[in-house]
Amino acid sequence: MDAIRTEQLTKKYDLGWRKGRLLALDKLNLRVHEGEVYGLLGPNGSGKSTTLKLVLDLITPTEGSAWIFDVPCNEVVSRLHVGFLPENPYFYRYLTGAETLGFYGKLCGMGGAALKKRIDELLDLVGLVKARDRRLSGYSKGMLQRIGLAQALVHDPKLLLLDEPTAGVDPIGSKDIRDLILRLKGMGKTVLLSSHLLAQVQDVCDRIGVLNLGQLILEGDVQTLISDQRRLSITVQDLPEAAQARVEEAVRAAGGSVVSIEHPQTTLESLFLDALRKDSRGAGHHD
Amino acid sequence: MTEVAVTASSTSRERVGFSPNRVGVIAVNTLTEAIRQKVFIFLLIIGLVFIALAIFFAQYSLGEQEQLKFIKDTCLGVISVISTLIAIVGTAQLLPSEVENRTIYTILAKPVWRFEFLLGKFFGSLLLLTVSMVAMCMMFGAVLWIKEAGMIRDLSQTYLGQTAADKADAIQQIQQLKTTALDFDLVKAALTDLVKAILVASITLLVSTFSTSLVFNVAVPFMVFIAGMLRGTAAEMWGAHHLFMAVVAIVPDFGLFSIADEINLGNVVPWTHIGEVVVYGLARTVIIVLAAHLIFSRREI
Repeated sequence: MDAIRTEQLTKKYDLGWRKGRLLALDKLNLRVHEGEVYGLLGPNGSGKSTTLKLVLDLITPTEGSAWIFDVPCNEVVSRLHVGFLPENPYFYRYLTGAETLGFYGKLCGMGGAALKKRIDELLDLVGLVKARDRRLSGYSKGMLQRIGLAQALVHDPKLLLLDEPTAGVDPIGSKDIRDLILRLKGMGKTVLLSSHLLAQVQDVCDRIGVLNLGQLILEGDVQTLISDQRRLSITVQDLPEAAQARVEEAVRAAGGSVVSIEHPQTTLESLFLDALRKDSRGAGHHD
Repeated sequence: MTEVAVTASSTSRERVGFSPNRVGVIAVNTLTEAIRQKVFIFLLIIGLVFIALAIFFAQYSLGEQEQLKFIKDTCLGVISVISTLIAIVGTAQLLPSEVENRTIYTILAKPVWRFEFLLGKFFGSLLLLTVSMVAMCMMFGAVLWIKEAGMIRDLSQTYLGQTAADKADAIQQIQQLKTTALDFDLVKAALTDLVKAILVASITLLVSTFSTSLVFNVAVPFMVFIAGMLRGTAAEMWGAHHLFMAVVAIVPDFGLFSIADEINLGNVVPWTHIGEVVVYGLARTVIIVLAAHLIFSRREI
């Protein structure tokens, strides 16, 4: 069973009198398999958020249909097993972290000791135990994003829809969220992730789909899509210069060609996180 | 792990039914949100201050009964105006702020019916109205009680050591004060004011289901309220004019709720009439909330 299935899903927005209509999504056929992390990529205005809103029945499709676990999206029951984190979420600023989760838990029919236990589990999962009794007005952007993830998870849904989950979050917070998504994947959750931050998607997604101007222009397994089957990279350590020449010679003798020889580079993000990790004072902004 | 309100049909397909519990959760949260808003606190404080000041300004009226009448006139007027303002201001921003802050996404992404959400927001507004009405009525009652106690004390001292006839007169005046000051009929006026405010809140809710402008959401219900107050006068002027008949069908007759004057003049307003007014107000409210639901259920968020 697919966690999400859309068929010919189309959305046109009215732009106002005599201004016509904007085609935001054009006949999207999408399948997100159960248990996978699917990345929906695309530039701003490509239709990513529109897709998520359609799946959640927040807006009505102009044409086509969508299903969550084979239940039509326009039925409330389809959202029984769905958790959603909107882009740049705002929550009730006067509630504390624990109260926020309590509110969303009660909306899902939870209560009593089971809800209290769940709140404790989630605050621990997203690393906000110390900030549980602090009002959200005092939360940082990264903390808001993490409490947003916690509220999405409160009723233990099988499917998570995350709209730009790391938008506006610093590299540390971003890495925390990425690690959390990987943990959720390990727990068997299905995740549909919308983002335009390609490096992050590459790290966590099994499959991706690329949207542009409302159309799905590319889709497939991440590793297959990004690997160049005609090229081979071998990383060696402490190789003498003479030996390097012999390796190049061997490659040429076998009919191949050496395209480049270079020292592997770390990413700026790894460098940044490593520097903070080594700082004895720790990384300063977390709760 | 979770106890989501779900029932299974004979085909074992999951279902999500209407849940009063979810409505209650949203209503309580809405009340909490409203109480934290400065504008609500400001309006309520203004109301309470004006009610309290009535006791001060009443001393410029001549005679005990006139002073009591002044206090009742002023306080009932303040309660009517402030409850109407709170109904409009407290309800006008409920839906637009949820959309603007995107909190509505997180709620409707859960297994929550849109009708539950709308009803929860409306009931939250009604809780707010009830809390403010209770606070203002308690202040009103306290003002009347203080005034009555002061008047009784003054009368007792004035006639102290006088003749038996004077004492009998004083006792009679005191008895009269006790029956007219804290008059139970005032509850009828407060009740109709509350129903009127509920009706105004429902109109505001209806407007906010299709408009995102706060100014529009405040101005339109206010204009409808004024039109409803003037319906009686308009009926005398235009009678059976088609346009007027159309307005009558849409705009509630808010003049029906103005029973405070009758009570304050000492006229008996029977409970049957109060019942009719309450039923009229609540029936209109139900129709308007259902209309709001029809619009909100189709709205793109």
